[in-house]
Amino acid sequence: MSKLNKIARKSTWVDMTAFVDVSFLILTFFMLATKFKPPEVVNIDNPKSVSSEKVEDKDVFKVSFDKEGRVFVSFSADKDGREKAQLTAEVLGRQKGLGLTPAEISNFIKFSSGGIGVPVNQLKSFLGLSDTEYKAFKQPGIPVSDTLNNQLNDYINALLTGTGGRKPANVMLNGDNATTYPYFKNILSAFKKNGIFSFKLITAMEGVPSGTPLYKTQQTQGGKAAE
Amino acid sequence: MAEIAQDSGGGGHKKGPGVKKQARKDARVDMTPMVDLGFLLITFFIFTTTINSPKAFKLNVPDDSAKDEEQTQAKASGAFTVLLSKSNHVYYYEGQLQSDGSNFKSSNFKEIRNELLRKKASTAEKDLVVIIKPNEEANYKNVVDMLDEMQILEIKRYAVVDIAEGENALIMITEGKSPTPAAGGK
Repeated sequence: MSKLNKIARKSTWVDMTAFVDVSFLILTFFMLATKFKPPEVVNIDNPKSVSSEKVEDKDVFKVSFDKEGRVFVSFSADKDGREKAQLTAEVLGRQKGLGLTPAEISNFIKFSSGGIGVPVNQLKSFLGLSDTEYKAFKQPGIPVSDTLNNQLNDYINALLTGTGGRKPANVMLNGDNATTYPYFKNILSAFKKNGIFSFKLITAMEGVPSGTPLYKTQQTQGGKAAE
Repeated sequence: MAEIAQDSGGGGHKKGPGVKKQARKDARVDMTPMVDLGFLLITFFIFTTTINSPKAFKLNVPDDSAKDEEQTQAKASGAFTVLLSKSNHVYYYEGQLQSDGSNFKSSNFKEIRNELLRKKASTAEKDLVVIIKPNEEANYKNVVDMLDEMQILEIKRYAVVDIAEGENALIMITEGKSPTPAAGGK
């Protein structure tokens, strides 16, 4: 009897199970959807374009240039990229008489996924750096502004010599908005000299403005991206 | 487990008065730390995720070493030349540049689209060719924007060419006199 008279104390316990379910669902989504940003030594602000093609990450040779006009080369970290990085280092070392040790060549492969931007004559000392020194080191960039001393040409030439003329599947240009045109032109001319005429520019996505011909084409094609 | 406990209680009989009922353990588990951890990880993944993945913009450039006779000739009537200069200034002229610079006009990135559309509508498709000439002070963004404009307007033939001395001089004169693109070039 006495038990019945008492007002039932409400429990403060909240059932968290549903909450946990939702949170782990979201967690799983993000874990699967996440692609980690590869470490970059340069900060680049890409221009926008209406292109909707995905950027490939296999067998990539990428030339980046930042707003100060510093030029970097990098290879993707997959098997093809590493192989090409190694060949480039070996050939470049031989052609320029740098005398690179195997340790320095393996450093070239390691650093090449983040970006290498040093003139050829500084390459040997640069490859002697440790990982932490590499991150802290402000690379001067590969000189391209002088047509007679366009050293990007040397890098590309070494790459193609090493692979026996086999071009990387994805040649990418990763440029900053504020870089002036002559740098871009010189980079293009270094590629042209070596017989590479097809590039992919890395851009941020932008919507197609309505009313334009491309917009109309996309509408009639049922939203399929025109190329 | 339950059976064993019952056996020890005395073959299914009631427990004696001295034997206390075993306290029922609550089956609930405190989930709060689990939720905390879950959300911590969610936050981590949200911050590290690149939502806006970069896109590839295809660019093919011609071989400069091609002989003159092999190079594509542009009809003057279908040519539209866009000149890019510093601080997003855009200049253009149609056909060939008049020696007195009378068809040299100033514009900006917004208006150039209408000009290009007008040109596209009034010219046969096989004759239309847009020539993009950035000068030394134009930046990479301008060039890519212009190339992008070609995609947007579906102009198939375009080329990026170095600027000529005379054209650059005209830009310099225009910029020296009227720094705002709205004021219009000569």
